[in-house]
Amino acid sequence: MTDATHQPLIPDLIDLTNEPETKPEAIESLLDLAVEAGRVDDREQALADLRAREAEATTGVGMGIGIPHAKSEAVVSPTIAFMRAPDGIDFDSMDDEPVRLLFLLLVPAQGGDEHLQMLSSLSRSLMHEETRTALLEADSPGRVESIVLEAVE
Amino acid sequence: MIERTVTVVPEDGLHARPASQVVEAASEYESRVTVGPAGGESVDASSMLAVTSLGVGSGDAVDLTADGEDEQAALDELETILTTPES
Repeated sequence: MTDATHQPLIPDLIDLTNEPETKPEAIESLLDLAVEAGRVDDREQALADLRAREAEATTGVGMGIGIPHAKSEAVVSPTIAFMRAPDGIDFDSMDDEPVRLLFLLLVPAQGGDEHLQMLSSLSRSLMHEETRTALLEADSPGRVESIVLEAVE
Repeated sequence: MIERTVTVVPEDGLHARPASQVVEAASEYESRVTVGPAGGESVDASSMLAVTSLGVGSGDAVDLTADGEDEQAALDELETILTTPES
């Protein structure tokens, strides 16, 4: 998988200019990045799947991080999208911390447990405070991409 | 400190609702509670990020530990969550 268009995270999926102010807005804006990058062929279906997962249990995993995710028929290839909310937004997090770092994770329905593996390596990397700080301070999509790729390896 | 190994039954594994139930339960007890893959490194069971980082699937064995006055009750509740199929 050396073709850049098949990497889960590419700079086109990282938006540091749009800063969502609510949880529903964050999920829709992240999804729009995936749709624009051609990773989702049915936006409504993907949104319904993300909302269903969110209704089951919040993806506000604590430490200022939100990782809305879904395994969905509407997803073309494994995808990570990223945005920030510098002022922090309420994400129903279990530790009640406002969320500043937002990751969207999407995998195709036939993805097996790829979903869990991506979620677990991303979460593991985000447990390090230096990773979170670097992501909050990153000044370009390219920088975010390299922080995440380095951390997830 | 007490320790127990259980096999994760819910189809989602230690993810989504079962994971949030574990984190909620672990947070309610005075005892320090940890969870980790059997024989592997354990993490704080009251942190959702830490629990998510484990990537534990259905059918995987996990080690649970609890240390504190209510350790027995804490492990009993965690074991119930992890061995109850999702409705």
